[in-house]
Amino acid sequence: MTQPIIEFEHVAMQYGDNVVLKSIDLEIESGKFYTLLGSSGSGKTTILRLMAGFLTPTAGNIYFEGKNINNVPPEKRRINTVFQNYALFPNMNVFENVAFGMTLKGKSKREMTEKVSEMLALVKLSGYEDREISELSGGQQQRVAIARALANEPEILVLDEPLSALDYKLRKTMQYELRNIQQRLGITFVFVTHDQEEALAMSDWIFVMDDGEILQNGTPVDIYDAPINHFVAEFIGESNIIPGVMREDYLVAFAGKEFENVDGGMRPNEPVEVVLRPEDLDLVDVSEGKLVVTIDDESFRGDYYEITAHDDDQNHWQVQATNSAEVGQRYGLYFDPEDIHIMRLNESEEDFDARLEQYEEEEAPDASD
Amino acid sequence: MHQTKAFNYSVPYYAWLLLFVIAPVILLLFESFMDVHGNFTLNNYQTYFSSGTYIRMTFNSVFFAFMVTVITLAISYPMALIMSRLKHAQFWLMLVILPTWVNLLLKAYAFIGLFAKQGTLNEFLTFVGIGPQQIMFTDGAFMAVAAYVQIPFMIMPIFNSLVEIDQSLVNAARDLGASSAQTLRKVIIPLSMNGVRTGVQAVFIPTLSLFMITRLIGGNRVITLGTAIEEHFLVTQNWGMGSTIGIILIIAMAITMYLTRDRKQGGK
Amino acid sequence: MKHKAASLYLIFVFVVMYLPIFYLIFYSFNAGDYMNNFSGFSLEHYRTLFSDYRLMRILANTFIIALLSALFATLIGTFGALGIYHTRRRGTRNTLLSLNNILIVSPDVIIGASFLILFTLIGMKLGFLSVLLAHIAFSIPIVVLMVLPRLNEMNPALIDAAHDLGANDYQVLSQIVLPYAWPGILSGFFMAITYSLDDFAVTFFVTGNGFSTLSIEIYSRARQGIDLSINALSTLMFLVSLVLIVIYYFLSTYQQRGSKKKRTLGTAVR
Repeated sequence: MTQPIIEFEHVAMQYGDNVVLKSIDLEIESGKFYTLLGSSGSGKTTILRLMAGFLTPTAGNIYFEGKNINNVPPEKRRINTVFQNYALFPNMNVFENVAFGMTLKGKSKREMTEKVSEMLALVKLSGYEDREISELSGGQQQRVAIARALANEPEILVLDEPLSALDYKLRKTMQYELRNIQQRLGITFVFVTHDQEEALAMSDWIFVMDDGEILQNGTPVDIYDAPINHFVAEFIGESNIIPGVMREDYLVAFAGKEFENVDGGMRPNEPVEVVLRPEDLDLVDVSEGKLVVTIDDESFRGDYYEITAHDDDQNHWQVQATNSAEVGQRYGLYFDPEDIHIMRLNESEEDFDARLEQYEEEEAPDASD
Repeated sequence: MHQTKAFNYSVPYYAWLLLFVIAPVILLLFESFMDVHGNFTLNNYQTYFSSGTYIRMTFNSVFFAFMVTVITLAISYPMALIMSRLKHAQFWLMLVILPTWVNLLLKAYAFIGLFAKQGTLNEFLTFVGIGPQQIMFTDGAFMAVAAYVQIPFMIMPIFNSLVEIDQSLVNAARDLGASSAQTLRKVIIPLSMNGVRTGVQAVFIPTLSLFMITRLIGGNRVITLGTAIEEHFLVTQNWGMGSTIGIILIIAMAITMYLTRDRKQGGK
Repeated sequence: MKHKAASLYLIFVFVVMYLPIFYLIFYSFNAGDYMNNFSGFSLEHYRTLFSDYRLMRILANTFIIALLSALFATLIGTFGALGIYHTRRRGTRNTLLSLNNILIVSPDVIIGASFLILFTLIGMKLGFLSVLLAHIAFSIPIVVLMVLPRLNEMNPALIDAAHDLGANDYQVLSQIVLPYAWPGILSGFFMAITYSLDDFAVTFFVTGNGFSTLSIEIYSRARQGIDLSINALSTLMFLVSLVLIVIYYFLSTYQQRGSKKKRTLGTAVR
């Protein structure tokens, strides 16, 4: 494995009695798009400020390419920030903002002009050099902030909820463009957001945070398909979470029945939580269903119907269906064994990963055919 | 963390706080316990409280300041209210502020001309058939000039608190059936009390300590706390007694601030 | 009907407010020697004023004191505001602010008397220096009150952003913080000038026999009666005030730095 560009080692942060970060261990590799995902107060922005150097950890160490940078001030770090409200200097125009870092380094006029126009081209604002900040729209200010940070040629660009002030459509465009810029430049991006959709769409790797801890980290697909616990499952997309019991490996009981599934490595008859994503569920004839449900409500969402229903054990179900269903009618509910995801109660991330690896190895010959 | 240097630039400011804010207050307090020869004594306070003259003078001063405040408020509130509803409110506010930029002494000087025995006001009184009156060196003249000087300082805070009132509150009151008089009494006046309080502070306290107008216009008939302090420091050279009255003035000021402090419920 | 009454009241109060001022100005052109019986237009009193060597010197003193005290007060006050701004602990911050405001709420006589005690104690000769020091002292808190809100209103991320882009503390101060606070600093400077020009009571206490400012001089002349060259002087002072208020108004509405022609044009059109 290559050396991580940034490494956190038992990093903790507290103000007086208020613990903001408990004990964070994380590694960031060069050239990837990382996302810190969590609600406000989860500690994600604190991690960002620790990386950029605006905060010094109260315990633990931060390494940049293997060197401890705990006490290196922000102006000496090869990390630049795109701030939440852009923090563009109102007393300077677009050119002066983008060139600010280079002015401080005493770069030549020609070099600055070249770099600024290159950066503005990158963010699709060519020709905006002489504009005042107050003349720009929110989206344009956003682009200038990105250009200004990138003009400093950082190894890592950290972005603090940069898209939260934009409207829905612009946010979508910027998500795509940010991803594009990151891939073209090949530098590391660390992105902070509370929007799970944004995280899933953009990242190579996601850290899900809550209450000063990293709950789970992995690729978007891993985290979506195999959330570690109730919190992550709820936070990442909509889910049906139903209490169940793991009878034995690959056999789980919930909603009064037993089902074949693909999880294992647990004690026999261990109580667990079962996750089924609404889009993995299909409404079929009562005779073909694995469960029988009664439809409570239906609402049209454009590309699908959002349906709520309950089974005979009074568990509530959310289903995303392509076809309309009739309220009050009974339908069969169908899902495949792979759609069932099991979560153990209070399982740590290490145990979870170990267990996943263990039974995936066992299963490998099966899965390959 | 990074800002330690800016802290060092601020050293002259902290030196100023020490030398020109904290030290003078302490010195004034010390001086009030000194007799004319610089020995420690409680005599100043004893004299102040036992001789009727000083107590009477204090009450007089408070009374005049109170009257001036009431007159100023009575003139200023309607004025601020009318101004706040005008189109170019900020322009009218400028017109109110402008006279405060004219040197106070010049304004007092103008009234010497207006109020003199053969002055313009007496010419007017003769013209309407009342005949010339003694205007200069009366209590009335003092109150008129003091109120004149203070009016802008009363209008400004009231005006500001009035324009800050959310217009939808006024609309809501009317919508719920309040007449314009009821809206004024139940909504606008209570919501502008903060401005009134600030205005009262801005007028009452300086009026207690005015000494120039008392001398020029009041002709030493009106003795305010300010006049007494000036008298003791610069005329009779009894700094101890002057400082004692100064401490009394500071206490009076503190009481005024306390009475007009920002409370949740309106009313004085 | 009600509207009319309101307008009449408004006009009446404004007339009362401006009457004494225009009365002074009007009689400064009187050929006679009193503030009644306008006996004809004359610039006689302006001639007397400009040939009054003593008054001209006092006028110069007054402006020198005003400019110097405003300059020092702005310097000290701006860095004082920065000090308060960077004070993290709320309690300390509030204490500093309360101390700052003491001189603003204190009656002039108290300031004058206590400064007189202070200067006498340290053995300073009363005169130019004591007046200058007193004016600097009572102008500093105003500068702080003008600069501090501007600093507080600045997005703190601007400082972070400048550090992030490689600026050291000095560069952050000179290129970001001071330019941002500049309108507040200028307002503070002009307020300090007007406070100094306007002051009578404090100066009266701390000026000795040899040194005099305009307020002091008008006071001593007014005690002796009417002198129409004072009227002429007040006319000129009024004009100076007008100029100052226009500059001040310009500054307070013109918040952003106006180096760009486009912006200037935009404001002019607006």
